[in-house]
Amino acid sequence: MNIDSLVLLAIALPLMGAAFNGLVGLFAPGYRSNKTLIGTLGTLCVAIPFAIGVLLFIQFDHDAHITRAFTWMSAGDFTADFGYRVDQLSLLMMLIVTGVGALIHIYSIGYMRDDPGFWKFFAYLNLFIFAMLNLVLGDNLLVLFLGWEGVGLCSYLLIGFWFTDLKNSEAANKAFIVNRIGDFAFLLAMFILFKDLGSLDFDVILAGGASLAPATINWVVFLLFIGATGKSAQIPLFVWLPDAMAGPTPVSALIHAATMVTSGLYLLARMSSLVLLAPGVMTFIAIIGALTAIMAATIAITQNDIKRVLAYSTVSQLGFMFMAAGVGAFFVAIFHVMTHAFFKGCLFLGSGSVIHGMHEVEHQLEEEGHEVHLDPQDMRTMGGLRKYMPATSITYLISTLAIAGFPLMSGFFSKDEILFKAFEYGYSGNGYAWFVWVVGIITALLTAFYMMRSYVLTFRGKERWPNADRIHPHESPASMTGPLWALAVLAIVGGFLGLPGVIAHGDLNWIHHWLGAPYGGPVAEAVVAEHEASFIVVEWILLILGGVIALVGLGYAWRVYNRDGIEFDQKLAIDFRGLYTTWANKYYWDEGYDKAVVKPVLGLARRVMDPFDRYIVDGLVNGLGSMVRAFSSLFKYLQTGVVQNYAVAILFGVVLLLGLIIFG
Amino acid sequence: MTPQFLFFCLAIVAITAALGMLIARSPVSSALWLILNLFCVAGLYLTMNAQFLAVVQVLVYAGAIMVLFLFVIMLLNVAALPSVRDIDWRLGVGFVLGVALLAQLSYAIASSTDLMPAEVSLESTVATGSVEVVAKELFTRFAMPLEMIGVLLLAATIGAVLLARRVSPK
Amino acid sequence: MDLSTAYDALGADLQATLSLWLIVLGGLIVIVWDAFRERDALIPVFAGLILVGAIVWDLFQLTAEPATAFYGLIRTGGFAAFVNLLLEVSALCTIVLSVPYLKRIGKDYAEVYGLVLFAVSGMMLLGAANNLVTIFVGLETMSICLYIMAGLVREDEGGIESALKYFLLGAFSTGFFLYGIALLFGSTGSMYLAEIGHAASTSTSAMYWSGVGLLLVGFLFKVSAVPFHMWTPDVYQGAPTTLTGFMSTASKAAAFASLILVLFYAVPYEKWTLAVAVIATITMVLGNLVALSQRNVKRMLAYSSIAHAGYVLVGIVAGSAEGYAGALYYLLVYTLMNIGAFGVLALMEWDNESGRTQSLDSLAGMGYTRPFIGVAMGVFMFSLSGFPPFGGFLGKYAVFAPAIKAGYTWLVVVGVIASMVSAYYYLRVLYVLWMKDSTDPAAMSNDKRVALTVPASSTAVIGFCAVLLLVFGVYPEFLQMAVDFFSPSAVSIAP
Repeated sequence: MNIDSLVLLAIALPLMGAAFNGLVGLFAPGYRSNKTLIGTLGTLCVAIPFAIGVLLFIQFDHDAHITRAFTWMSAGDFTADFGYRVDQLSLLMMLIVTGVGALIHIYSIGYMRDDPGFWKFFAYLNLFIFAMLNLVLGDNLLVLFLGWEGVGLCSYLLIGFWFTDLKNSEAANKAFIVNRIGDFAFLLAMFILFKDLGSLDFDVILAGGASLAPATINWVVFLLFIGATGKSAQIPLFVWLPDAMAGPTPVSALIHAATMVTSGLYLLARMSSLVLLAPGVMTFIAIIGALTAIMAATIAITQNDIKRVLAYSTVSQLGFMFMAAGVGAFFVAIFHVMTHAFFKGCLFLGSGSVIHGMHEVEHQLEEEGHEVHLDPQDMRTMGGLRKYMPATSITYLISTLAIAGFPLMSGFFSKDEILFKAFEYGYSGNGYAWFVWVVGIITALLTAFYMMRSYVLTFRGKERWPNADRIHPHESPASMTGPLWALAVLAIVGGFLGLPGVIAHGDLNWIHHWLGAPYGGPVAEAVVAEHEASFIVVEWILLILGGVIALVGLGYAWRVYNRDGIEFDQKLAIDFRGLYTTWANKYYWDEGYDKAVVKPVLGLARRVMDPFDRYIVDGLVNGLGSMVRAFSSLFKYLQTGVVQNYAVAILFGVVLLLGLIIFG
Repeated sequence: MTPQFLFFCLAIVAITAALGMLIARSPVSSALWLILNLFCVAGLYLTMNAQFLAVVQVLVYAGAIMVLFLFVIMLLNVAALPSVRDIDWRLGVGFVLGVALLAQLSYAIASSTDLMPAEVSLESTVATGSVEVVAKELFTRFAMPLEMIGVLLLAATIGAVLLARRVSPK
Repeated sequence: MDLSTAYDALGADLQATLSLWLIVLGGLIVIVWDAFRERDALIPVFAGLILVGAIVWDLFQLTAEPATAFYGLIRTGGFAAFVNLLLEVSALCTIVLSVPYLKRIGKDYAEVYGLVLFAVSGMMLLGAANNLVTIFVGLETMSICLYIMAGLVREDEGGIESALKYFLLGAFSTGFFLYGIALLFGSTGSMYLAEIGHAASTSTSAMYWSGVGLLLVGFLFKVSAVPFHMWTPDVYQGAPTTLTGFMSTASKAAAFASLILVLFYAVPYEKWTLAVAVIATITMVLGNLVALSQRNVKRMLAYSSIAHAGYVLVGIVAGSAEGYAGALYYLLVYTLMNIGAFGVLALMEWDNESGRTQSLDSLAGMGYTRPFIGVAMGVFMFSLSGFPPFGGFLGKYAVFAPAIKAGYTWLVVVGVIASMVSAYYYLRVLYVLWMKDSTDPAAMSNDKRVALTVPASSTAVIGFCAVLLLVFGVYPEFLQMAVDFFSPSAVSIAP
């Protein structure tokens, strides 16, 4: 098979899977109970694209391959092809999406087994993979946007999956609406690019980008970044992501940790040569990334819901990636996207496994007739799970170490590379990068601390649920622990794809060689000053500093939470007082938005616009007092007054229109 | 000068009659004012040598339609409206907007046309308003719209029947 | 005039506008038929077949060269065929959907089908007009039929009241329209669009522009642009649901097509754009904002259709071939999605007190009990909110991109924000449909739902609309075709 048909097959398979499971499930309710069949089909429709991705990866010969499926639209001088692009960047993203996606599909077979909406879940998941593949493989902004909207839609469907709980559907709506704001900026950027370049193909945009006016470039990059802040949950649009945890845990792992939320980074990396032409906006990107990172990290310290800790951690890590993008190290951002997919995927799946176990506890308590309301996601009622769920515990610990940057684990390399790039960029005379670097160091410390906190509170110490002496959870089935182990292994070794510059002068940094423009890849990077030979000492110091920071954070949390358990939070609250309250209340973002945006808009719609309605309702009540018997009573309606109001409005329109036309 | 003099006389009476129709509170006098207005317009047609139009105007509007109006008014025994006591906001806004519209249109027309055009000889206009000329245009050039007006009237008739026949509820 | 050549010309003219006469003839036959055999079940079948015949004929005309017929009063060729097709498809879908619906609400008068056919003939005249007289006759024929349809339901919901309002305000706006025609004739000395345009290309006066403005008022009233929109929610709510679908699509399409012809042929591209841009802005903003607060689905769709008129106006503001073509394309997809959405509503509306209130809650959980309809409604709602890959997205793109090119970026920004807002209320419908439990106390009880039958014909029409929307979202052949209608060669057609 040639590359074209392979690519098209890889994209079509998830769509076919979604269509089959969705439509057959919808129209033939009997099919819904064939859970093994549904799960296997769904998984295969992602696993085969992964295999295709591997095949393409092996065959890849350093030239971007473009597959034109068909011409989507052509109007006047505008054409948009359904074109797909296979190059280093899209291949890597495709492998992450389908690889992690396939693992999470397998996991879901076990996790969702008892859910009546099993078929729907797999249909949505496959649909998501389809949309995500369009996003990363598209050859022009329009196809990318198609995927971008598609993943947003799937995210909406999956967050609201357990829609019977009103809170969940509210979370889904919030995610959708906040994302639309980002989409709007993205659309504007597309309009501007199309207006000035006449095409949305990546080749044209990236080649013609330099010819644009600086102001245009700034606007385009700024708008693209706003689009990215929506999807990738950055200040000021991050508020939807923590709420999005209302969805099933595999969804949180796949969409809200590993893949969809990183699409903003993908967009910036894809547009990297354009972004580099807007240094002012880059400053903005880096600072927003840094602020998001530290803000989310501080919030994460105060959270007790295990999934919310991970959600804020995701926001924080995404902030790290934007820091990398903001200092022009796009390939490092993608590197972190990859390692983050491994360890955060594993963490979420691990938390899912824990929730699975705690559900069991809740269930048993109910059977015994206890009137306890146990929140299976609350870490305050966990503890000591290590004994009952060893596999979950070990994999969770591995990923915790990885995300914290424990030396030689994947997160160590990727995070250190980000901090190093920030340092290097600052060293080359870009002052803001120093700020980013300092914030990054602090955030790394916080990350190590709150992640170890979540591990200790969940898996160590005493069991804190009621009747813990008799009732305890069991380890999850192999279909769930299998993916956990796979991701844990990747979380350990994934970092070796990007060995730092101190080793063999960066020659072993595979990911840089694969993606970086200096080596013929598609991802451009900022130029930094040449270093003198002695700079390697600084590099070593920074590397060791990174390791030490992680160890300090991890060690401190390990000590205090093993010693005091959950009570240590009270100590923190007392020590930090107002600051802690601010963190615990998430910096009051939601309240602020509610006051500044939601209430006024709805108020406008209800209070100002509704009088029309009330007139009409009044008219109905007054006018319909007695029923029409003959033509004669028609006259009555002329006296309700409503018609005159309408006529006055029309007259107003006439005067306005004539005024504008004659005198305008 | 005669046509212009006639024009202004007729126009002033027509406008007065239109206002009278609006202001009158009794439906019958309102209808009578309207008849006066329609006659004045017919007179205006005559000054422009459009005899056919003038006759049709009187026959159809002042004759048939107004008689129907009066029938309906009498049959229904519509009482006179109470005299206007207070002016509500609608009236005020409507008045202001109406004056604004009038000003706009007056400006537009006054700025674009010659207000006192040179007199056109009667002979040249005679040819345009006769039955023969109107009929020829109507049945050649505008035959298709004429046929469609047939459809329009048919639809209106059906509609009237449809709306009126369900006198008793199910 | 030599009679023999007149007959020759008549033969050619009749052939060029065959679909129009087929439909007029069909309408007449329906009326006579009904007079002899009241409520014959075959009458709607016959009306449908007439429309199918007209559709087939117009499909062949799509590629015909642009020309005029009947002394240059009406246009023929590609543009006319495109508009005619749109109107005929809308009418056909309406008739198929109406048969079971009207029977259910006890209003199955065969005259309705005759009126639909007459309305379509008026719209076809309007949408292909080349002369102000044709426009006026077409507009009135269409309007009279619509007034009657709006008043068909008398017993509840104030249908007759809204119809009367519609009629009075329609007459009001027609007055302006007629005055506009008079002013245009007075300032240019012609009723033919091309001749008016020719006269205006050399010099324009304030009188001419007033005429254009008043003409615009008439059109904007028909397409229910703000502030000429206020009749719309009342009328749409009061009319039988399937006929509401017809009113909201076909009459708008015809009025817009005519407006495009007038602006393209008779008005130089300058002064009117700002005015139309302002109208488009307030239409999009107000339509979407008010739709947000509606609890009644039909009212919500009414405000949504107001907002959509605003989007079409954006394309018209662009004033380029792409802009007009985009507007036409938008009308095409808009017709499909609105007919479909109202069709679904008609199916879900059962004839008792609470059913006709059409509150959102009455749709709760329908997605699972009637999955096909739920999926189709999903397509319509996503398409209405402009979500790719459905036709609505492409339609929005087709009207917004030319406006950007013409320098109306601010207008497009407003449009995009407005359509973002619209996603909220469209998705709310889906949310209720799929994510709300049908056992909600607020929702309808289940036995009533079971009693509701879904006829295969309605299912077929709804499925047809949904599938076409997907196709048009992916293969916009018609968009390219529409651009050619406004090529320079089309301009040179003399009256």
